[in-house]
Amino acid sequence: MSGTAAVSLAPAAYAPPAGLAAVRRGAFAVGAVAAALSLLGAWMDRGQFFRSYLVAFLYWLSIALGCSAIAMLHHLTRGGWGLMIRRVLEAASGTLPLVALFFVPLLFGLPELYRWARPDEVQADALLRHQAVYLNAPFFISRAALYFAIWCGFAWVLQRLSARQDATGDPALPRRMQMIAAPGLVLYCLTATFASIDWLMSLDSRWYSTIYGVYFVGGHAIAGLSFAVLVALYLSSRGPMSAAFRPIHFHDYGKLLLTFVVLWAYFAVSQLIIIWSGNLAEEITWYRGRLLGGWSGVSLALVTLHFALPFLLLLSREGKRNAGRLSVVAILLLVMRWVDLHWLALPALSPEGPAFHWLDAATAIALGGLWLSAFAGRLARRPLLPIRDPFLPEALAHD
Amino acid sequence: MEQTPGTGGPRAADPGRPPLIAPGYTSATVTDKISAVVLRGTPRWWFAAFGAAFLLVMLLLGTLGHLFLKGVGIYGVNIPVGWGWDITNFVWWIGIGHAGTLISAILLLLRQEWRNSINRFAEAMTLFAVACASLYPVVHLGRPWVLYWLFPYPSTMGVWPQFRSPLVWDVFAVSTYATISLLFWFIGLIPDLATLRDRAKSRFAQIVYGMLAMGWRGSARHWHNYESAYLMLAGLATPLVVSVHSVVSFDFAVGIIPGWHSTIFPPYFVAGAIYSGFAMVLTLAIPLRAIFGLKDFITDRHLQNMAKVMLATGLIVAYGYLIEIFMAWYGDNRFDVYMSLNRMFGPYAFQFWSLIACNVVAPQALWIKRLRRSPVFLFVIAIIVNVGMWLERYVIIVTSLHRDFLPSSWGMYSGTVWDYSTFVGSIGLFLALMFLFIRFLPMISIFEMRTILPEARVEEARK
Repeated sequence: MSGTAAVSLAPAAYAPPAGLAAVRRGAFAVGAVAAALSLLGAWMDRGQFFRSYLVAFLYWLSIALGCSAIAMLHHLTRGGWGLMIRRVLEAASGTLPLVALFFVPLLFGLPELYRWARPDEVQADALLRHQAVYLNAPFFISRAALYFAIWCGFAWVLQRLSARQDATGDPALPRRMQMIAAPGLVLYCLTATFASIDWLMSLDSRWYSTIYGVYFVGGHAIAGLSFAVLVALYLSSRGPMSAAFRPIHFHDYGKLLLTFVVLWAYFAVSQLIIIWSGNLAEEITWYRGRLLGGWSGVSLALVTLHFALPFLLLLSREGKRNAGRLSVVAILLLVMRWVDLHWLALPALSPEGPAFHWLDAATAIALGGLWLSAFAGRLARRPLLPIRDPFLPEALAHD
Repeated sequence: MEQTPGTGGPRAADPGRPPLIAPGYTSATVTDKISAVVLRGTPRWWFAAFGAAFLLVMLLLGTLGHLFLKGVGIYGVNIPVGWGWDITNFVWWIGIGHAGTLISAILLLLRQEWRNSINRFAEAMTLFAVACASLYPVVHLGRPWVLYWLFPYPSTMGVWPQFRSPLVWDVFAVSTYATISLLFWFIGLIPDLATLRDRAKSRFAQIVYGMLAMGWRGSARHWHNYESAYLMLAGLATPLVVSVHSVVSFDFAVGIIPGWHSTIFPPYFVAGAIYSGFAMVLTLAIPLRAIFGLKDFITDRHLQNMAKVMLATGLIVAYGYLIEIFMAWYGDNRFDVYMSLNRMFGPYAFQFWSLIACNVVAPQALWIKRLRRSPVFLFVIAIIVNVGMWLERYVIIVTSLHRDFLPSSWGMYSGTVWDYSTFVGSIGLFLALMFLFIRFLPMISIFEMRTILPEARVEEARK
């Protein structure tokens, strides 16, 4: 506990690095160019555009939502571990209104993506007629509006309380944030589950799995934490935060990431074992399309690069403490999240195998550039640590 | 050593974190208070309580004797309901065991110091619950004397177990779990056994505790090895918290019975296990701390934390119920739809709605802080959750089986008096073991409590 005295709590000590402004401008420029290219692609090949765009949207959503959920988990448990990355999580969850905006173009592509949005097919299919009470465009859109209202609402309220804490240091605030985070997490799990059914599972409306929402949420946790760790590593590589971060902080994040990776694999393998053993025609087809044929390579990549390799790398102490090695794992996981979303979404639309299209990259870069620019802008607005949180000295002196 | 229990900084004085131990204690008074329960004479009520539990053990043995003479026909199981109370009880007991491992291993790795006063008896509870649980599949075998066929020994008959069957995975999962839990519990006891050895007055107690303490002298080297071993075991035990009940859920989910074949089963069973386990810890902790005057160690904050864990896991369980019903509607599989409706409005509707009332509705009261603070209220809720989790397994097992795919093979199920006596007898076994434990071993970890004393902090800060 000897480090406590040496720690400074002045806001100026945690001013955002100057490089963030350049990141903001650069990301915006790249995003704008890619967005223009994507629009051109939409004009050339409408169907392909919406497929690519769906995955790109879900990808950046998963990072923003994952960060928001981890922030709520931090408020709920009042764990000291979250303080060092709280600003990163808050900046990312603050972008959720922008992500809601990203959702809007999808509304123009519902018939291209979903069978339930094509009236002639619904007429011809008894199951789709049954599901039409739930899977119809007006209800689909109102649900999406509700999901985003809840996600943005909780992020906004917690953000405001956090800003008030910076200003006043009111000791009652952590408790209030805890009280908001609890229902926030419950609602997040429910809305994310139904969002996963609406946006992903209904691509192939014959197939269903009760663990699907949990798997989706697990993916958010990995995406959010990998991104937050990567930003924390970037911040810790230059002043002023290089003095605040210690290897033990990253050791903790590495452990948490390891936990999330193992949980994700556990959800995935639970689903596989149950469906494989049951071997029912309506269920196993989902795996047949993914494990055999053109998508099998992607499945193998998920097992090795989304689970086995990160697992082994994160198991060792050095893998968690060494900035270089941890950033490799975080980048790998962020890439594999994108692959996993492809694997979830696209076999329903292109069953013969993965057909990489330049629009996949263009849409992902377009949304990513705009999103990162907004994120960097938000991160630069406030001190990089919640300087008046009562537990910050403890977190800084963590040994 | 990093992450040893109790190295979390000056937390006791922090705002928002009430102390984990009432003020005014020192190492010596903590040791006195906990070891006195074991070392002073046996209170009279203990004989009465243990005697009552022992009578129930006799009931269990009598029932099992009858079972071995007559066969499983004495139970209510039939075709189509081939699994009844026995499997319900097995899953119920094994679920209860999960809280002990979660508290001792996962909360240790998460550096949650409040676990220090409840881990010991939660671990004991785990062991006894696992003992009760493993009884059921064995006596249910029909030919329990060929139990060893479950193990993959090189059989001269050339018969191997079916490795694709989760029932075989169960054998490995439960026996591994029992072994690790026992080791974890015993290793955690060693320093305290040495304390009892040093403090015991009678020669006999000195010898017994001395042998069990395995030559512990408390040297720096001992502590160093001890801490490494303890952390390593915690790491090994952590996946077991998830794996055991996942395998139990596979017993159901890998089949294609509507109501069993659901991919949410593994995480939802694990959450249910932790839910019922924490309910049982509260059921035991609240009377124990009142009887032995241990409210300074198992504080209201401990009870509140456990209540919060119960609320969280209860919500996960409720999520499981919800998503199962939604997917039955969404997928429009006629058997799934029928099963869901039959559960809600069929002949077992009473059990189903009771389970919803116990597991989903009642625990929502835990959102209210004032109620979380009341030990009496928590005790009532914990009992309700224990009942609810038993009903959940009963409903899952019986309602899924009793209406087979063809109406010609439909049937009804109810337990017989032998089902009841086996269950009540196993509760007696659990309680008898628990009473022996609190009489002869320290029910709170003495040395881990010392690490969260304010004086331990001062010494640490000086270093």
